[in-house]
Amino acid sequence: MSRVSLKSITKSFGDHSVIPPLDLEISDREFVVLVGPSGCGKTTTLRMIAGLETATSGTIMIGDRDVTDQRPGLRNCSMVFQNYALYPHMTVAENIGYGMKVRGLPKEDIAAAVTEAGRILNLGPYLHRKPRELSGGQRQRVAIGRAIVRKPDVFLFDEPLSNLDAKLRIEMRTEIKSLHRRLETTVVYVTHDQVEAMTMADRVVVMNAGRIEQAADPITLYEAPRNLFVAAFIGSPSMNFLDGHLATGPEGPLFRAADGVAIPTPLRSETTNGLAVVLGIRPEHTVAEGRDLPTVTLKVRDVEPLGPHTLVIGTVGGAPFTAQVPAHARIEPDDTIRVPINTDKMHLFRKDTGDALLNQAGVFGGSNP
Amino acid sequence: MSARGLKGGGRLLAFAGCLIWFVLTMFPLYWIVITSFKTPVSVVDGPTYLPFIDFEPTLNAWRDLFSGNRGQFSSTFLASSLIGVTAAVIATAIGAMAAYALVRFPFRVRLGSAILFFVVALGGYLAGTLWFGLPRAPAMLDAFAAALLLSVLANRLPLPGPVLGNDDIVFWFVSQRMFPPIVAAFALFLMYTEFGRMGFKMVDTYLGLTLAYVAFSLPIVVWLMRDFFAALPIEVEEAAMVDNVPSWRIFTDIVVPMTMPGLIATFMITLAFVWNEFLFALFLTTSKWQTLPILVAGQNSQRGDEWWAISAAALIAIIPMMVMAALLSRLMRSGLLLGAIK
Repeated sequence: MSRVSLKSITKSFGDHSVIPPLDLEISDREFVVLVGPSGCGKTTTLRMIAGLETATSGTIMIGDRDVTDQRPGLRNCSMVFQNYALYPHMTVAENIGYGMKVRGLPKEDIAAAVTEAGRILNLGPYLHRKPRELSGGQRQRVAIGRAIVRKPDVFLFDEPLSNLDAKLRIEMRTEIKSLHRRLETTVVYVTHDQVEAMTMADRVVVMNAGRIEQAADPITLYEAPRNLFVAAFIGSPSMNFLDGHLATGPEGPLFRAADGVAIPTPLRSETTNGLAVVLGIRPEHTVAEGRDLPTVTLKVRDVEPLGPHTLVIGTVGGAPFTAQVPAHARIEPDDTIRVPINTDKMHLFRKDTGDALLNQAGVFGGSNP
Repeated sequence: MSARGLKGGGRLLAFAGCLIWFVLTMFPLYWIVITSFKTPVSVVDGPTYLPFIDFEPTLNAWRDLFSGNRGQFSSTFLASSLIGVTAAVIATAIGAMAAYALVRFPFRVRLGSAILFFVVALGGYLAGTLWFGLPRAPAMLDAFAAALLLSVLANRLPLPGPVLGNDDIVFWFVSQRMFPPIVAAFALFLMYTEFGRMGFKMVDTYLGLTLAYVAFSLPIVVWLMRDFFAALPIEVEEAAMVDNVPSWRIFTDIVVPMTMPGLIATFMITLAFVWNEFLFALFLTTSKWQTLPILVAGQNSQRGDEWWAISAAALIAIIPMMVMAALLSRLMRSGLLLGAIK
């Protein structure tokens, strides 16, 4: 059993608090990704699990062991660093086997483990090279190899792919995922790249300013972000936001904004009239698909053809807005076009708290529980 | 702009400048080399510059030197080598460990406990000698032991006053090189004499001079090595920590190999300092463990200005350092860290 649980963990550096009380339960064999902008406390959280930082207060459990005050070496975690952190004077085989050598394991066992790790990670031909003779991707594989021979309870990854080029990053993403399936070990993975988070995680933990904004599986995060921060952070290209307020319409509350925008909402009518709200709509949900949908007026600034479809970038009532149109649509910069809003897929957030009033999971929150 | 970019006249000018500087620095060395092969007559007859043309070279000065007429060169050479290498090895080893600790582990020393150390050490010594009638050496040893113990214990108490950190400790180390060495040399001589009275001979011994050199080299070693350690990527050590490698093995297996060029450079600097050191050797040795600088300096006073002999003696003092630097500079190649991190 290698659950990881963080109970009311806090961390301050001097008087500066970086993590307010934080609770997180990670189940056995789960692949959890901590994601957030830089400085959000994700790496500090990971380093507290590793023991490289001590928690100012709270409890950290790995399995049934309280590891809060244990030194890193006793926690049976393996960590892969962003900058690989290999031992430069040792060969690949020595790098991978060094931990076992220090623990005094027999030479045959070390050799077997190194060979096995080399096979899994396709490092066989490079086992006798020094790290400086390897490419970036190979170096990170060595770091992963060093982590897996430890047979840890938990794998900790600290932005391991950030230093690789885009193509290699996608390859390594798949490799780490299949490694997780094969080894069936709990993984805590830190990244600032939301695409990496979405593609790899069983569960994504979105962090901001030391707090967990939302922890859910990738689809839930995408379809039902709990607040404005998560909505803005998840998805690429990111969600469009229109400021406005709620008003009474013929069939229930209307979203009203500048330029005469009026979009019917499925909110119940007792929702406070005049409440300041933010409407969120993803670019991929600005496609009519033959239905009769409410529209907004987009002043086009730029057109980005991507192949399968084209993105139109511009402004709606002064706010930046990106719409998705078919690949062959004839649109030029400075055009003004009508963009449909798919009301089934739209989100509404309270302007004051940022909490979701409406998303694809339904209507909730705020004054309308 | 690099010198490679220079064209025509500028290039020539730069080359001429370098050449002049080269001649300026090399000429004294050349002069010593040829003088050591001259006869007394050709030295005093006026300047001559080219062997076989200006004057007939002879090995007389060198023969004279090794015959023992001018002091025990072979035994002095051995003493210098032994003391130099031992002191440089010990100082580099201890200093490197201290520097690593100062870079990686935060220390907190209360100013109060530091003052307590000073007061107890000095007060205890005075009290021991004046009131209890102890001989000086035991009084000093007891006072220092008591001061150390008390100040370490006191550091755990919430004493008022500022708390000193690692940078303050480093400054304290380096500040020991700020006062004139003569102060330390004289004090050391007195202390060693007191030890001698207790039956523990320190003056003119291998141990005595080596210890003095270790102590006096440590500040510079700590100062130099601190920068080398601070430049290491901490993640490499953290990776080992997570892998349950004990701290001392992280130091010996990972940190030391990564800073090898720095360690060798520091060793070289320390060795050169000890090899050339004059003042301590003058105070703390009398005959058996005399070092080369003392012997070379003594040539003039013992036999008058016999420049041919002094030149040969000076060369003997210079050549080993040149050979050592040539050998070790191969190991000082950079790029050892390549591949550790992105």
